[in-house]
Amino acid sequence: MIVAERKPLEDIKEMIAGYKKILILGCGTCVTICWAGGEKEVAVLSSQLRLASKKNGNELEILEDTIERQCEKELVEALKDKVQQVEVVLSMGCGAGVQTIAEIFPDTPVYPALNTKFVGMPEGEGIWVETCRTCGDCFLDKTGGICPIVRCAKGLLNGPCGGTNSGKCEVDPEKDCAWTLIYRRLEQQGRLDTMRKYYPPRNFQAVIRPGKVETLQA
Amino acid sequence: MKAKGAFSPDIIAFCCAQSAYQAADTAGSMRIPYPENIRVIRVPCAGRVDVLHILRAFEKGADGVLVLGCHEEACRHLSGNVRAKNRVQKLNTLLQEVGIDGERVEMFTLAPNQGFRFARIANEINERIKELGPSPVK
Amino acid sequence: MDNGLRLGVFLCDCGGTLSKAIDFSAIKAELEKISDVTYVSISHDLCLERARKVMQEDIKDKGINRVVVAACSPELHENGFMNIIQAAGVNRYLLSMANIREQCFWAHPDKGKAAKKAMNQIGTAIDRARFLEPVEQTKISVNRDVLVIGGGITGIATVIELSNLNLKTTLIEKKTALGGKLNQFANLYPVRVTPGELLAAKLKQVTERQNIDVLTSAELIDVSGQAGNFTAKIRSGKKELVRNFGAIIFATGCDSQSPGQIYGLEPSNNIVTQSQLEEMIKSSSKVEEIPQSICFITDTSDKHSRVSSFSVLENALGIKEKSGGEVCVLCQSLQIDGAGLERLYRDCRNKGVLFIKFDIPPKILKQDGEIRIEVEDVLMSGERLTLSCDLLVVEETSMPPLDSKVLSSTLNIGLDARGFYQENNVHLYPVASNREGIFFAGNCHADLDLMRALTEASNAALSAYQLLAQEKITVEAEKTMVDPDKCRFCLTCIRACPHHAIQEFRVNHEKMVAQIVDLACQGCGICAVVCPAKAIKSKDWSDEQILAELELLGEHV
Repeated sequence: MIVAERKPLEDIKEMIAGYKKILILGCGTCVTICWAGGEKEVAVLSSQLRLASKKNGNELEILEDTIERQCEKELVEALKDKVQQVEVVLSMGCGAGVQTIAEIFPDTPVYPALNTKFVGMPEGEGIWVETCRTCGDCFLDKTGGICPIVRCAKGLLNGPCGGTNSGKCEVDPEKDCAWTLIYRRLEQQGRLDTMRKYYPPRNFQAVIRPGKVETLQA
Repeated sequence: MKAKGAFSPDIIAFCCAQSAYQAADTAGSMRIPYPENIRVIRVPCAGRVDVLHILRAFEKGADGVLVLGCHEEACRHLSGNVRAKNRVQKLNTLLQEVGIDGERVEMFTLAPNQGFRFARIANEINERIKELGPSPVK
Repeated sequence: MDNGLRLGVFLCDCGGTLSKAIDFSAIKAELEKISDVTYVSISHDLCLERARKVMQEDIKDKGINRVVVAACSPELHENGFMNIIQAAGVNRYLLSMANIREQCFWAHPDKGKAAKKAMNQIGTAIDRARFLEPVEQTKISVNRDVLVIGGGITGIATVIELSNLNLKTTLIEKKTALGGKLNQFANLYPVRVTPGELLAAKLKQVTERQNIDVLTSAELIDVSGQAGNFTAKIRSGKKELVRNFGAIIFATGCDSQSPGQIYGLEPSNNIVTQSQLEEMIKSSSKVEEIPQSICFITDTSDKHSRVSSFSVLENALGIKEKSGGEVCVLCQSLQIDGAGLERLYRDCRNKGVLFIKFDIPPKILKQDGEIRIEVEDVLMSGERLTLSCDLLVVEETSMPPLDSKVLSSTLNIGLDARGFYQENNVHLYPVASNREGIFFAGNCHADLDLMRALTEASNAALSAYQLLAQEKITVEAEKTMVDPDKCRFCLTCIRACPHHAIQEFRVNHEKMVAQIVDLACQGCGICAVVCPAKAIKSKDWSDEQILAELELLGEHV
């Protein structure tokens, strides 16, 4: 899922400086799961902003809400009444959410409270790691399910390079060499012949940005 | 009414029912005095105390907050006291971001029979908050 | 405000003592001004039957639906008050208490300030009362069979107890035969029968019972489900069995490890461990075969084991009685707090076993095949002694059973710092694990001698019985619950719950959500805090209730 992180409070305070009534909007999907922008985080941010404004002697009224998904027009449109009451919407969704709201309500400034980081998964309680770079030309069948674009420092498709060192990467000795991992995985599956083929350079035009996927009506 | 010039801090103490709440009772049973301005809120486990509860306490005018739970490895719910400790640490950052001194919140561990320790902690925090003065967001 | 609430506030002045500082009539007058406070009463002794009856009547007569009690600590009488209000027809969770005795009057010498604080406390309890929620009780059916793992004396005693309580049990044992350490010990002080005789007697009982099923060469592979409904996968010989149980009791004992190259000496003919000595004693029928002078050295590495003390003293006494040779025990601080150990120690002394106490570990040398020990005798003011003996017996360290690490992580039950199973609370719940329905007995979690192990067997059996006594168990329904509409199935609560009490659940054959198992939930509220979607609510300690207690902040004392 999409993994994001809340911006430092200083940056957020700067964004909403001067405004007196705002809506802080959470998103119930990816950012809830990575503990960045769910209902809980909305409540914490609101509390902090109220404390900060009280300390500086400013007036600030905060409305709070969380919708299931911010990247869905109908769900955002349902917020019309609340948005009309405020000067600014502070979105705790990912970039897609922020832009959806901005498009539906073009008269109201919509600010991002999060930095959207990557597509990834949880590694442990409270730890999320990047696993997919959304390159548009998925190569994972050839690498035993381990993505070299994310995990190899050089993004090689025909690795390893000459610098692989006892399973560690020469660029970042803390990192595992992705291609050593790929080798071991393919070995486990009896598919090492996959590594004997050469693959052409990556198709950097696989996704022409901004990307678009179009299908026929179901 | 407060006496003129004397600052009596509003301090909330979230007390775990398995340890700290009983320690507060023990302090009372042994007539060990501690400041009246320390108000106890009973919780089933220190791990029940949310970052939000403490932030709201400051919004409501608290000058200091204590989180009191069981000693390391003595938590009936295994990780409750550790989580509370982590949360208080996170809270120090959240408070600094807002311009509130992180020293205003602290977690301590104790056992149910430690009446003296409860009173000592209460007195120490009271003195510390008196030094720091009223909360800047009061 | 008409919120449908009719609060009843019951003040107790603790036999008149609290009235010395607190003006209860003034408080009553203040409280009666509050619009949803229907009734205020002052009592001298709410802990007594007489006053409680009156309270019950008052609640019924005045139609009170939320009760606030200002008195001594809830730790004392909360449950009693919950019973009273339940008897009066009000849900037992609709009670809020103010601790105006231990945490007010008794702790604050300035009585004026104490009185102000009491008013604040009562006001806070009233604020909280407005957010109380009823919790209903429901009955769930349970499986009444019990699984006991470990066929040593503790496990055997446990299944016999359970059988006495009319519960069907299955006993699984890794080895090919039952008996555990009993197969190894040479004698059993203070029991006057040999280990073999004791084992035979117990096994006879086991075989005679219809409701005990014994599986040897059997191991536990995995357990799923919750208390009252566990599903266990067992490997029995070559087969894999799946059986259902209501409770599981671990009696897997401990292993022992010879300290190895302790003192820098290799094990040899004349340096042996306790177990090896026991074998020697059991097999040697002739007195001449027992070495003339034997030295025991103990508790330099394992300061915990009473089993070790028993072994040393029993064997020392046994050998002394059998061979009459020189027996000497070198110890740092011998643990003799087990039943019969003090007596055993005195018997040893009376029979002429020598005890030498040291602080600094003795030096042990091997010269020409003979063992020489240099030790500083603490009781003789550090006098240096040199002893020689034919046989040196070294202690063993008790180790957790080999599979405890694997089982601990599979079942999510805790281990202590030494790797033994962690009991829920050493003093209050010594045989319970952190998971409802899973218990421990014997040396798998503590250091026990035979008598204590047998007591624990009864304790664990009774604990399981307490859980499974009825076909249906009463539980509090949804005291802490997940709102399936808000749940994002992020698995955070499932991973965070220390009691493994939350499981996956499919709502309406569609959406997957987390669901809390009522029987296993122990009400800590950790899940409610970690949920990033604020989808979990604890009805008895809800956020609303806790935050309501902050309302009167700033009303100074």
